[in-house]
Amino acid sequence: MIGQIIQFTIDALSLGSLYALMALGLVIVYGILKLVNFAYGELIMVTGYTLFLLSGSPLPWIVMAGCGILMAVFFGILTELIAFRPVRAKSVTAVLITSFAFSTLLQNAALLFISPRSRQVPLPDLFTQSVELAGVIIPLRNIITIIFAVVLLILFALLLKKTVLGIALRAAASEFRMARMLGVPANLVISLAFAISGFFAGVVGILWLGRIGVVLPTIGLEPLLIAFIATVIGGMRSLQGAVLGGYLLAFIDISLNYTLPQDLLQFRDAFTFSFVILLLVLKPEGLIKGPATGQRT
Amino acid sequence: MFDHVLKKSVFGLVLIILLLCMGGIGFAKDIIIGGALSSTGVQAPLDDPGLRGAQVAVKAINDAGGLLGKRLVFINLDGKSDPVNVGNIAVQLIDKGAALFIAPCDFDFGGPAGREAQKAGIVGVSTCASDPLYSSWSLGDKQFTLSMWNTTMGATAAEYAFNERGWKNAYVVTDQFIAYTKSLSKYFTAHFKAIGGTILGEEKYTQGDQDFSAQLSRIKALKTKPDVIFISSYQPDLSTIIRSLREVGIDAPVMGGDSYDDPGLFDALGKKFGNDIYFVTHTWMGPEAHPDMPKFISLYKAFYNEEPDTSFVATGWDTVMLMAEAVKLAGTTDGAAVAKVMETHEFNLLTGKLSYKSSEEGHAPDKAAVLVQLQDGKPSFIGWRRPANPPAP
Repeated sequence: MIGQIIQFTIDALSLGSLYALMALGLVIVYGILKLVNFAYGELIMVTGYTLFLLSGSPLPWIVMAGCGILMAVFFGILTELIAFRPVRAKSVTAVLITSFAFSTLLQNAALLFISPRSRQVPLPDLFTQSVELAGVIIPLRNIITIIFAVVLLILFALLLKKTVLGIALRAAASEFRMARMLGVPANLVISLAFAISGFFAGVVGILWLGRIGVVLPTIGLEPLLIAFIATVIGGMRSLQGAVLGGYLLAFIDISLNYTLPQDLLQFRDAFTFSFVILLLVLKPEGLIKGPATGQRT
Repeated sequence: MFDHVLKKSVFGLVLIILLLCMGGIGFAKDIIIGGALSSTGVQAPLDDPGLRGAQVAVKAINDAGGLLGKRLVFINLDGKSDPVNVGNIAVQLIDKGAALFIAPCDFDFGGPAGREAQKAGIVGVSTCASDPLYSSWSLGDKQFTLSMWNTTMGATAAEYAFNERGWKNAYVVTDQFIAYTKSLSKYFTAHFKAIGGTILGEEKYTQGDQDFSAQLSRIKALKTKPDVIFISSYQPDLSTIIRSLREVGIDAPVMGGDSYDDPGLFDALGKKFGNDIYFVTHTWMGPEAHPDMPKFISLYKAFYNEEPDTSFVATGWDTVMLMAEAVKLAGTTDGAAVAKVMETHEFNLLTGKLSYKSSEEGHAPDKAAVLVQLQDGKPSFIGWRRPANPPAP
């Protein structure tokens, strides 16, 4: 019984940590621009393919992982330069379409230049080992995921609260025009937000692909969807909300996995989304209300 | 002024030549095979290898003098993994004079092409749609699929497990996302029970969140340990499930269908987890499967300058070869005549000996299947199997 509780807790926390990081990467851009970056999932794909392309090289794995995260950051900034900056000020619809277009472009590039079929991602032994706790076997990577997420979340909170960059980011998120008037450089802050978003995507990429072991051109779709739902639950403009939403979504998913009878399990997503709808009926703004502004910039 | 007239007439001449060229496609001594295989989108992993194999086959036939004294031309437009688009492409290419049609490797995506081919009265063949929905019942009396049905695939797995290995208890895990995975489990379960096996339990899940811990703990909690676990899913979920199973110490043999036939899966499982896995698929890329296989592989290498990365390329080659042989025997590309030959003749293909039932019986393919074993992350050929009495669809 204790074993089961431990297993459930670790399952929910590790999946929740992944969802929370995914959601945070999405909401950091949304908070400032009030626009969803639909090419977000492809940053995870970029990390995966970087790992795949480096897998033949003699580099130690940790360096490959670092390269993968760097590439995600680079492509995050590239997304902003290509899909957002030229049309940002002009039309929301245009940005919606350009970010979709950039996502399609990246996916098809992977499809044409690498392969439409799955490719292996190199993983360290640590990711495939497991430990025994109170009679249940827990994969070590679930524990790594939780530790990593908690450390990152604390560091990110410190960055936002204590540094000039963080304050500029938060100012831009709550009142962008005012922040600009007070000397916060708009383009820099936005690029920075995309870079941080790319960083989260890169870390998620490593941990998420660590579960799967392979990368595909369409691998980014699911994380994007999860991140989107988690941010809606948590509150579209709140960073804490995104994290909370991620953990809650994972908790709902895993609870349903454990408790639903087999015949209903195939409709699990219907149950999950019923919860989400119910939640939104009760709290239309999401769980945590963000800074009081709806002004799009 | 004169200059102007000259320009105009030169332009006119070029236009006429162009038109002649375009019209010529229909008039020249060519047999056109249309195709709507997808190079982009979710269907691409299944269609792209078939497309590659088909192109090699068309070149091989033309190098050997063509078909009925005519050159074979294969025009494939990207189906883009969109059923509506696939249907439109079929209409477009049939208008251009396609006499035969290659449909995508799935009922949902390939069906629209099959229906258009049927309307135009020409033979259409899907490269590897294996759901029994892909039949003459639903598409018409000139439509076929090169693949064995899931009835055969499931039955082959069941017979190998029960009869050859003596595994009496099975546990079945099924991805509920697409028709293929659901029907494969259904026929495995039905046949395994029919020949005397016991199904300990069935686990259903929907792909997406890459978390199987709840399913794993249910398997671990079983009172009777399963002799074999049948998993009907596909990449990337498949490698996650098998890895997670092995990680928590469940070492029962794992079985599955042709979605396992993917080097991406072998690599992802590696030496550590790629053990005691058996699957039923279309063919094996070695001379053990068919004496002509090395010839195909060398032609493929000459064409693309690389090794084929999956055995699904053979389904494309076979589709073209099947069509060519049927046309040769019929002496015409006329749909009814070619379909008649296909219903009455046995074909010896790289993906096994194949004969079709009549159109009243759905064009059910009577086909042998290959069994492959995965050990230390390396696949090896077990042999051809033909289930005596596969379940009815």
